Amino acid sequence: MVKKRVPDWLNSSLWSSPHPPSPSPYDDGEDYRLRRSSSAAESTVQPPVPVPPPSATRPEPPKVEIRDRMNDSSDNGGSGSGTPSVEDISRQAQLVQELSRKVINVGELRRLASQGIPDGAGIRSTVWKLLLGYLPVDRGLWSSELAKKRSQYKHFKEELLMNPSEITRRLEKSTSSENEESKCGTRGLLPRSEITQGEHPLSLGKTSIWNQFFQDTEIIEQIDRDVKRTHPGMHFFSGDSQLAKSNQEALKNILIVFAKLNPGIRYVQGMNEILAPLFYVFRNDPNEENTAFVEADTFFCFVELLSGFRDHFCQQLDNSVVGIRSTITKLSRLLKEHDEELWRHLEVTTKVNPQFYAFRWITLLLTQEFNFADSLIIWDTLLSDPEGPLETLLRVCIAMLILVRRRLLAGDFTSNLKLLQHYPSTNISHLLYVANKLRTQSAY
Amino acid sequence: MVLVLALGDLHISHRAPDLPAKFKSMLVPGKIQHIICTGNLCIKEVHDYLRTICPDLHIARGEYDEETRYPETKTLTIGQFKLGVCHGHQVIPWGDLDSLAMLQRQLDVDILVTGHTHQFTAYKHEAGVVINPGSATGAYSSITYDVNPSFVLMDIDALRVVVYVYELIDGEVKVDKIDFKKTTTTQVAH
Repeated sequence: MVKKRVPDWLNSSLWSSPHPPSPSPYDDGEDYRLRRSSSAAESTVQPPVPVPPPSATRPEPPKVEIRDRMNDSSDNGGSGSGTPSVEDISRQAQLVQELSRKVINVGELRRLASQGIPDGAGIRSTVWKLLLGYLPVDRGLWSSELAKKRSQYKHFKEELLMNPSEITRRLEKSTSSENEESKCGTRGLLPRSEITQGEHPLSLGKTSIWNQFFQDTEIIEQIDRDVKRTHPGMHFFSGDSQLAKSNQEALKNILIVFAKLNPGIRYVQGMNEILAPLFYVFRNDPNEENTAFVEADTFFCFVELLSGFRDHFCQQLDNSVVGIRSTITKLSRLLKEHDEELWRHLEVTTKVNPQFYAFRWITLLLTQEFNFADSLIIWDTLLSDPEGPLETLLRVCIAMLILVRRRLLAGDFTSNLKLLQHYPSTNISHLLYVANKLRTQSAY
Repeated sequence: MVLVLALGDLHISHRAPDLPAKFKSMLVPGKIQHIICTGNLCIKEVHDYLRTICPDLHIARGEYDEETRYPETKTLTIGQFKLGVCHGHQVIPWGDLDSLAMLQRQLDVDILVTGHTHQFTAYKHEAGVVINPGSATGAYSSITYDVNPSFVLMDIDALRVVVYVYELIDGEVKVDKIDFKKTTTTQVAH
């Protein structure tokens, strides 16, 4: 019986050295990484060769480098190298150039972004908005689209975040004329008036705004609790500073509006974790105009991002074809395809059910497994991959398993579970590289 | 938006066994922030029941209350409004607006809640508003003959109060409301 073993390329010495840059970045996308790895495997490692930017020379590199260093030091932790490599700078230049076109080529953008968006030019916010379809590809339409969406969100907030007292007051103003205001000095019985539409605070009617309000309070409390617990180590999200409080307020509003607009799914714990990176990136947009409307932008992008993963949060769908269990089964099947030995050891021998670790990996899109800066880079890949975020996510999960396969194969139930539930910090570009290779290696 | 429940004169278990079922079904915990009770509960079990609806409970002593340690009058501030509670049997003539107005000026409150007459009334005079939530159980009264169970829920929102009056008439709960605003003129000490 021939066991499907790990392909040889995974065991190569390649992993201990940085990849040399490719000579021409504008080759066709798919073969880009393969060609790089094969060239590296053939020849010994070359020192990084400075790559001239493809278009007319721009004065970007020296300025960019300085900003890079500043941004790196302000980011919480970093992946792999501290200073940006020449590759990063060139990729950044290409991204900036792509973004400055009148009509943006999304395919090209995806290709560039999937290798990671450098922090230098503060473009991640715009790139993510384009990738999630919030910004149209035609630059000319940006201002009108943004204005439309932002006013829509404002409208949502006004409608949905009003408490019932205000609602009844507005209803009254529109239906009845103002009663004669009793002036100071008059005495006597206060006039009784009828209630509008049977609405009173203790109403138990299903359509009563008061009743709905009280039912929503539970959810609002839940959201409040979860928002306060989001990323407690980061000053941006947590603590007593003005910034943290206003950010928490914004996160709450977005989640409450989402819950009210989606009565089928409401709010489920974990949505706050998916919202957090989006908000962080958009809030740190260097463009002042954008940060003023960060809530609206984040709301729509959150809806878009969650649309692919909604079913994971719906408990009733747990066992269905689209639910989380089915996704985990898919993951398991993929693992068996790529690395049967590991699969067998994990699931059969040590009986580590993928639900024990993959549930959190998948539902929270890996935000809890790596430090914040690393998860942003992973999200660059998740959002930009043309296969779609879910497929990419599964590949990254498999890559995560494969990278620690030696330890897993040597471990028993307890140690394996411990390892997978506290995934060790790793070189992210390395991880994404492996994940990408899994695409080209898969059976179909 | 603060919800304050005002009720009293239940006379459980001397004159009435319990609150009407329709009232009880509406009074669920979690909705109301404060309870003001004019007194004459009369037994401890009623006190405990009211605490389950809302932990912030203010009671003034009625003449039949078995708990002797409730105060005769009580004042509290909710938002922009000062509220006062008193059972009302101390203020004679019972239910008279002028005498109650005197008490209101004494306590220096915007809204005075009293009971004893077992009849819902809401009066306005220069110093403020006097509300009588009536008897929540519709208990027998020596003053009035026709007693309908009633209580009051106040929705205090900045300078505006909406008073919802809940009455049980012929077995059905009828709700009315009364609106009033507090004038923002500050009181000048005479």
